[in-house]
Amino acid sequence: MGRKQVIFIALLIAILVLLPVVVKKDNIINLALLVLLYICLASSWNILGGYTGQTNLGHAAFFGLGALSTRFLWMSGWSLLPSVLAGGLLAVAFALLIGIPAFRLRGVYFAIGTLALAQILYITVGNVFSDISSLRPQDLATYQLVPRYYFFLVLALLITGTTYLLVNSKLGLGMMAVREEEEAAESLGVSALKHKLLALSISAFFAGLSGGAFAYYHVGYYPRFPFSPEWTFDSMMMVYIGGAGTIIGPIIGALFFVVVRELLALKLVELHLIVFGILFILVVLFLPGGFVEAWKKMQAAFARRSKERGVKVSFQTTDD
Amino acid sequence: MRARLVTMMVVVFLVSALVTNCAPTPTQAPPTEVVKPTETPKATEAAKPTETPKPTEVSLPPAPEFIEVGASIPLTGKFGSLGTQVKPGYVFAVQDINAAGGVYVKEYGKKIPIRLTIYDDESDPTKAVSKLETLYAEQNVVAYLGGAGSDMHAATAAIAEKNKVPYLGIAFALYSIHQQGYKYLFSPFPKSPAQARDVFEILNAEIPEGERPTKIAIFQEKTDWGKELCGLWKENAPKYGYEVVVYEQYAPKTEDFSDMILKAKAAGAEALFGMPTQPDGVAMFKQMAELGWTPKFSLIIRAPENVTWGETLGTVGEYVTIFPGWHHGEKFPGVEELNAKYQAEFGRPADLLTGPAYACVQILANAIERAGTLDRDAIRDAIAATDMMTVVGPVTFNADGTGNVLNPLIQWQNGKLELVWPKDQATADFFYPAPPFDQR
Repeated sequence: MGRKQVIFIALLIAILVLLPVVVKKDNIINLALLVLLYICLASSWNILGGYTGQTNLGHAAFFGLGALSTRFLWMSGWSLLPSVLAGGLLAVAFALLIGIPAFRLRGVYFAIGTLALAQILYITVGNVFSDISSLRPQDLATYQLVPRYYFFLVLALLITGTTYLLVNSKLGLGMMAVREEEEAAESLGVSALKHKLLALSISAFFAGLSGGAFAYYHVGYYPRFPFSPEWTFDSMMMVYIGGAGTIIGPIIGALFFVVVRELLALKLVELHLIVFGILFILVVLFLPGGFVEAWKKMQAAFARRSKERGVKVSFQTTDD
Repeated sequence: MRARLVTMMVVVFLVSALVTNCAPTPTQAPPTEVVKPTETPKATEAAKPTETPKPTEVSLPPAPEFIEVGASIPLTGKFGSLGTQVKPGYVFAVQDINAAGGVYVKEYGKKIPIRLTIYDDESDPTKAVSKLETLYAEQNVVAYLGGAGSDMHAATAAIAEKNKVPYLGIAFALYSIHQQGYKYLFSPFPKSPAQARDVFEILNAEIPEGERPTKIAIFQEKTDWGKELCGLWKENAPKYGYEVVVYEQYAPKTEDFSDMILKAKAAGAEALFGMPTQPDGVAMFKQMAELGWTPKFSLIIRAPENVTWGETLGTVGEYVTIFPGWHHGEKFPGVEELNAKYQAEFGRPADLLTGPAYACVQILANAIERAGTLDRDAIRDAIAATDMMTVVGPVTFNADGTGNVLNPLIQWQNGKLELVWPKDQATADFFYPAPPFDQR
């Protein structure tokens, strides 16, 4: 990481830290919080989907389990952090439980298997926990968005930072080797199952923590809601819009997805879904590698042009 | 590397704990900036003007241009079919009030028009929360109008409580939302206790003793409302001389009801109570016809409210009764005009949820006028003290925010939804007993 990049990241973090101090409007803080929530969720999906090449269509199950256990423990009087941590660990336990049989499946079968498991959990939770989980009036009287915003900010930094360290480690290289060619990786002594299980566990842990943070944030919802498949598909879309298998991709994807959709919803009301859908199709069609790849291509084209111009100038100089 | 990873995670977690506990407290000053709404209702001629009291000679503060009211409605997504019934009710009511110059606010000594801003929350509680925060921060609304479905109200009513903004919501019968101690939630819509009581009172009033369907089968959906309402039916039945012979539970989106139906048939059940969603209800009745069990009386809330019930089931869907909350055949002041407007725009009389939505705005306008100010707490107190006539009939509120409103019973007859109770409002006679499916 270059010095310029470090300064840019430090500046960005400083802006995010100062945002609630400068902006006093709850709707802006709420929007920023939602962006952070989706950064957490999309980045956690990216660890398994983007870096390890395993398309997980059941990510909402980990998010939901984190939300379910955190809400239950927190509302029963536990302090927040142990509750959230318990949510993350429960998600890991479930991931390990399903991981070993699920990783016997590959490609589309793995994707379908995870989707089926998540749907089973969604329906079961809906049947077993059918009552609304709302904050009590005394909780609402003291409810503040700002601590929740900071909680998500720290979580987003934790997930992004961990992903950065992970992809630059031996473990991360192993994960990427599995993504590129599983058989080749195995032949070089990289255990595909071990790497996939580790990636799944880390991904589930962060999704569980994100679910826990969601339980801390949301004022009233049915326990089945965080298990709904939209959480998985929205996260996936964000990763692909931004750039799968990159650190910055899920961040850009979440920013684009949440902010653009919200702005369209506020300005166009009934037409916003159509417009957003068209916009999404255009991004997928013309930027197949997401914004990150488009940026890299632009940089490469710019460098090539500069080089050509440089050569031309030097030729002209020689002629003179 | 692994050690670095673990160290970093521990450090960030500790920082997280610190930040969460030491986070500054935000101030929630209402913003002064008022953003242009996406929708400004146009005034029409259909309104009933109210007399504007003469202004007093005391110097009054400058009046705002509009009374800002906001609504987050599911216009798309799984509750979209409900939200699209609710929206015209709000819009038409605001149009009618504005056509008469708006609402008289004593504090400013003049009538001020209502500006209603509506957002689509896509049937997503998180997006609904976001929309209500925007309405509060950007539009500085004096009141919220709710969407549809208990999923949505659970989230939005809590935000209203948090922001201390009066909230009027319909299209949910769940009573437990009102039992949480919320102060700002009001709902002029029949709730489970009324639905669980009225069905027995209607049956006893309409059917002579000896002919009543005293053996009841209850098919309970495994949801909070299902648990609440079916539990109350079961509890009330013996008090009115009825016996619950079958009480079965099923998960939403169940496709096979045959076991439950056969149990009801074997137990000799004469009446069926339930609240299935549209697909569940259609599957249930198709299988009842196939298995040859016809209840003499069916109270099925929710599924048959949609016009597609009659189209899909034909004669099998006939004679089913519903507690919809309202019907366009009611004879209260304003219903005829509302139907005419709805007919002109949509080619049919007002939908079942449109009347209660219209009433919400009537109640709010009346409360603002009585409060004489745009202060949210004063408006909240005025709503709580409501005692007025609306398109859904007379309305008052209980301390928990539930409305004391009429709970009409409607019935599918000849492919139409007819109002059958109360008798003074009825558009058709109550039909009982329902003939067997194979003789229709």
